[in-house]
Amino acid sequence: MGIEFRDVGKTYPGGTVAVAGFSHVVPSHTTVALVGSSGSGKTTLLRMVNRMVDPTSGAVLIDDQDVRELDKVALRRRIGYVPQAGGLLPHRTVVDNVATVPVLGGTPRRAARAAAADLLALVGLDPSLGRRYPAQLSGGQQQRVAVARALAADPNILLMDEPFGAVDPIVRRELQDEMLRLQAELGKTVVIVTHDVDEAFRLADEVVVLRAGGVVAQSGTPKNILAAPADAFVREFVGADRPDRTLSTSEIDGRRVVVDANGRPLGILQ
Amino acid sequence: MSTFLDALAWILDPSSWGGSQGIAVRVAQHLAITVAAVLLAAVPAVPLGVLIGHTRRGRGVVVALAGAVRAVPTLGLLTLLALLLGVGVWAPLLALVALAVPSLLAGAYAGVESADPEAVDAARAMGMSERQIVRHVELPLGAGVLVGGFRAATLQVVATATLAAYTSDTGLGRYLFSGLKSRDYTLMLGGAILVALLALVLDRLLAVAQGRATGLARRTAADSRLGA
Amino acid sequence: MTWLQNNAAWVVELAWRHLLLALPAIAASVVLAVALGRVAHRRPRLRQPVLALASVVYAVPALPLLIVVPLVLSIPLRSPLTLVVALTLYGTALLVGTATDAFDSVDGQVRDAATATGHGRSALFWRVDLPLSVPVLISGVRVITVSTVSLVTIGALVGISSLGTLLTDGFQRGITSEVAIGVGVTMALALALDALVVVLGRVLTPWQPRRRSVRAPAPPELVR
Repeated sequence: MGIEFRDVGKTYPGGTVAVAGFSHVVPSHTTVALVGSSGSGKTTLLRMVNRMVDPTSGAVLIDDQDVRELDKVALRRRIGYVPQAGGLLPHRTVVDNVATVPVLGGTPRRAARAAAADLLALVGLDPSLGRRYPAQLSGGQQQRVAVARALAADPNILLMDEPFGAVDPIVRRELQDEMLRLQAELGKTVVIVTHDVDEAFRLADEVVVLRAGGVVAQSGTPKNILAAPADAFVREFVGADRPDRTLSTSEIDGRRVVVDANGRPLGILQ
Repeated sequence: MSTFLDALAWILDPSSWGGSQGIAVRVAQHLAITVAAVLLAAVPAVPLGVLIGHTRRGRGVVVALAGAVRAVPTLGLLTLLALLLGVGVWAPLLALVALAVPSLLAGAYAGVESADPEAVDAARAMGMSERQIVRHVELPLGAGVLVGGFRAATLQVVATATLAAYTSDTGLGRYLFSGLKSRDYTLMLGGAILVALLALVLDRLLAVAQGRATGLARRTAADSRLGA
Repeated sequence: MTWLQNNAAWVVELAWRHLLLALPAIAASVVLAVALGRVAHRRPRLRQPVLALASVVYAVPALPLLIVVPLVLSIPLRSPLTLVVALTLYGTALLVGTATDAFDSVDGQVRDAATATGHGRSALFWRVDLPLSVPVLISGVRVITVSTVSLVTIGALVGISSLGTLLTDGFQRGITSEVAIGVGVTMALALALDALVVVLGRVLTPWQPRRRSVRAPAPPELVR
């Protein structure tokens, strides 16, 4: 039944409260986005799933099992992870980066490399790039490699921490499209952390908007949140009043044209 | 263990300290040759290092040269010079000067280079001449590293000055070589302990000086940020 | 040069002995310094003590060390082991600071991502930290390689034969060319091993851009 956050909290030794009592269920085969500004505890929540952070109260459960009962390293190897700015090993070739987790798990290197080449193709990279080192790739290509690496052990769960935050907007859009295509094909359980509401709305089935300290301001489908923001904070955060979100139609020759608040045409209403 | 106790007893015995072969004279000789070698080496090394650090030119050549100098076995240089110059104090002094140069040079250029380029740029924009930039900005900011170079050089020289006694009758090394010749472990160990102590004391003193100089650098950096 | 012609075989044998003294000391220094540097990097509380101890050991002159080591370990003064132990102490002390810096230089984000993808403690060390520390480490290894080869000569003063024997023997017999050849061959050996370390560094770091500017780091004795 996916991932369950059961009243989890994280208080650091200095007394700083990163997260106070967060509960949420991420159903299997769906994508959930945690959005919020910095200090909202979204990354801390994400890192609780693969035990990079252990909660000081409450529990995270995967398929009804408390992750704290599992071995950290083994757990991490069966969860895909895509960090911001790739986090690729600079001293390993691209193909070896993708093969990292299977090799750690005991897959023979040759087999892992062959599988890695297929994964590169899956994420839209020419397998001939596999012999390069990460520094020889563009930022967008590095992120694709990071996604391929996360998929290498065929995990059920994929954690993405601001995965496309370090690339320019055009490449980000491309990568988001790629992600949607992959998700339609693979149907993983995905938790994505982002401060970019548009990204969350594009990629996620369900969006959780967080205030400071991991307090849920609102959660729901992008549609529901946009249609009925719970309060002024959410309204402001998702930009419900932004010119490109307040659309109207005008009729030209019997066809209805959608325009934004600035009067710029966006498309035709069918 | 008893050898250690014997050696300590020898060091603590007041009669070991007096006379023309006594510890006091030996320590003074050892210190004198160390200080002389470091200062003589500083005469060419520090200005050259500052020049390299300031102009950022010639560093590769100097680093390669310093590497080659490091590869020279000091004992070899010492014996070679002694064969050429005789058994006086000049041979060990020159060998020690050669030993001190690389560290002093490195300290000088690394120190000057460590000055914040923005501070240097600001000084130039304020109308300081290159000479003034070196004196008022780069040297104060790099003082800690520069003194670090002196510390490293002094440490190497005071240690290696022990070898001076191999070719000339000077310094604490005499006890080691006499002890070796007569198989007198007490004398050897006593000499070894004295040299080690002298080196450690000098190192600590220069560490304090380095700390002070680094403090100076920090204050200068704060001043230059305030535009003073 | 006639001296060399008459004594070539002896010089080669001494060079070989020299190498057999220097190489174990260099290897042991690298292993010990990496281990200590790792400890200093991981445990902030031990960092200062470890680095301070290294600077104290480094401050002890080599010749006295050659006399103290056999007394502490109860081995004969003239045993090659004495020299190897003393040179190892020296090399380790000189390299620990660089080794610590080398581990400090590993990108925290890379390490974090490696942990999150399931590298355990030992995998993190062998597959991430150690290989990524090589570029910084190698500069320190170069320095201790050269200084160790050069210091082996001191052993001749207590009767451990190496190329240093040419220096003491030549001095006592007043043969300048013998001393000069001793100096020359020692330097050649030091610089050849240094070049080998550079090549080894390149082989171990194929991901590093080749034609980077040769900006040599500050000598390790300054970074203490």
